Amino acid sequence: MNVLLLSLEYMVVLLAIVVVILDFSLPRTRPTLGYLSALGLAVICFFSFTFQIEDGMVTGLAGQTHVSLAFGGAYVLDPTALWFKQFFLIAGFLVALISIGYSRHIESGLSEYYALQLFALAGMMFAASANSFMLLFVSLELITITFYVLVSYLRRQVESLEAGVKYLIMGAVSSGFLVYGIALVYGSTGTMDFAALGEQLDNDLALAKSTMVQVGLLLIFGSLAFKLAAVPLQVWAADVYQGAPAPTAAFLAVGSKAAGVVLLMRLFGSVVSDVTLGWEKLLMILAALTILYGSLCALPQRNLKRIMGYSSIASAGFLLMGFAVMSQSGSTAILYYLFGYLFTVLGAFAVIGVIVKQAGLEDVNSLAGLSQRSPLLAATLTMAVVSLAGVPPLAGFFGKFLIFKAALEQAVSYPAYYALLACAVLGVLVSIVYYFNIIRAIYWSKNPSDLSTIPVSGPVRFAVFTCIAGMIVLGIYPDPFLNIAGRAVAAFSL
Amino acid sequence: MTVGLQQFLVVSAFLFCLGLLGVLIRRNIFVVYMGLELMLNAANLALVSFSRYNDNLDGQIMVFFIITVAAAEVAVGLALLVALYRKRQTAHVDELTSLNS
Repeated sequence: MNVLLLSLEYMVVLLAIVVVILDFSLPRTRPTLGYLSALGLAVICFFSFTFQIEDGMVTGLAGQTHVSLAFGGAYVLDPTALWFKQFFLIAGFLVALISIGYSRHIESGLSEYYALQLFALAGMMFAASANSFMLLFVSLELITITFYVLVSYLRRQVESLEAGVKYLIMGAVSSGFLVYGIALVYGSTGTMDFAALGEQLDNDLALAKSTMVQVGLLLIFGSLAFKLAAVPLQVWAADVYQGAPAPTAAFLAVGSKAAGVVLLMRLFGSVVSDVTLGWEKLLMILAALTILYGSLCALPQRNLKRIMGYSSIASAGFLLMGFAVMSQSGSTAILYYLFGYLFTVLGAFAVIGVIVKQAGLEDVNSLAGLSQRSPLLAATLTMAVVSLAGVPPLAGFFGKFLIFKAALEQAVSYPAYYALLACAVLGVLVSIVYYFNIIRAIYWSKNPSDLSTIPVSGPVRFAVFTCIAGMIVLGIYPDPFLNIAGRAVAAFSL
Repeated sequence: MTVGLQQFLVVSAFLFCLGLLGVLIRRNIFVVYMGLELMLNAANLALVSFSRYNDNLDGQIMVFFIITVAAAEVAVGLALLVALYRKRQTAHVDELTSLNS
């Protein structure tokens, strides 16, 4: 056990504590705490790029080398974990910037809002490294419980509180499933450790096929589907996205989903991959249902945040589709899709946060005349929506393209993938309709009532430009990022 | 009759289903929270009994984490409920309708 391995998490937690203490002891620093949090995250993110991981050994900045396991094997720092940690740090940095722009909306407890985001971020980073059921459970709960608070942060608004209560009830049900699933798997294998679990199931096929292990793993899968917002535990997403403050919803869409993805990949893609191989049909059906549910339900919606909620369900479907492909190229595509999704969704929510604050309502109609009120916001939202719809040459297109390509490669040997692909294409076509509604509201709505310019604060401007740059670069120059993603998942068998 | 692993597991499965049923059927948020607690504690019972019969302490350590997390969850949940009650004067799931669907 050594400090180097966990240094990224320690620094994030320390930053959160510093933010709370500064607010407590020097109240006048309050407005700058958001900048402190963003700056700290940027520094930690740069620091994370000094890590070198090779053959289970981690080398730090000063050249010291350590085995990549900690806490008796419960924590592992492998290339996948590092990739996801950097992903979460970038997301946390951008969300902190968006929160600064949103801060006037939060009546009380502003510094705690930043601190809780940092704690949730620490939970996500631990989840990326979870190598035993104990760390998996604790890190998932750290994320979920902080998000209960973050979702209901506008406590004078009924919508926000209601979203919080709904999220809490659904989240607690899913953690009940998770714990019971862990109990069943632990009961039949006698171990909490992923390495020992994988070894046992590989050597004993009868055990892997036994009802207790299968049911236990299904329950665990269900609770991860909750994190992803995938069928069968997706109903919370629309309500929670609508009620939550915009920065929270953004973090929920990117961070919480990615935490689910990394656990899904580590546990089901690597540790118990033999069991997962038998679930091919189930995964395909769930992916198809998730894509169709998200796309079709978004169609009649007029509330911007609610549309984003359903669109996030559809995205969870595409991620699940990449996972159902069960190949290296599928996993690489998932990572690439997520990276593009980060810039796209954060860009969209940055704009939505500003507009909702300005207009006081969340309807699509509040976008009327946006192209004249603020060309920058209009362009960002348009690009984000175009990227989400999967139109070239932006990041979202390339992510979807990679997932489709991976599925096509498998379809040659297993024709059922054609059905999944057909559902996915249908989902994309439907989604273009409601995404186009947004673009139409921005550029072609008749008689916009208010044409005053919308002021955009510095941090939000910076976040928006970063997102635009991310969407364009990932869309037209994918090779280096594709290589990094490929190396990050090289260790996984699926 | 000796009480073995099987009996413990049956009780734990029964409690889990009871908790889930409570969450699905009852409309009062307090009772829903109680159902949620029952689900977690059913899992605790299963973990402890597995741990006892597997001669392995991991399960019991896990139970400590689960109890702690459940306490944190309820603390947040009750705080939310108080805030919600102040706004709406209700603790009924059916009356949470301000989010359109």
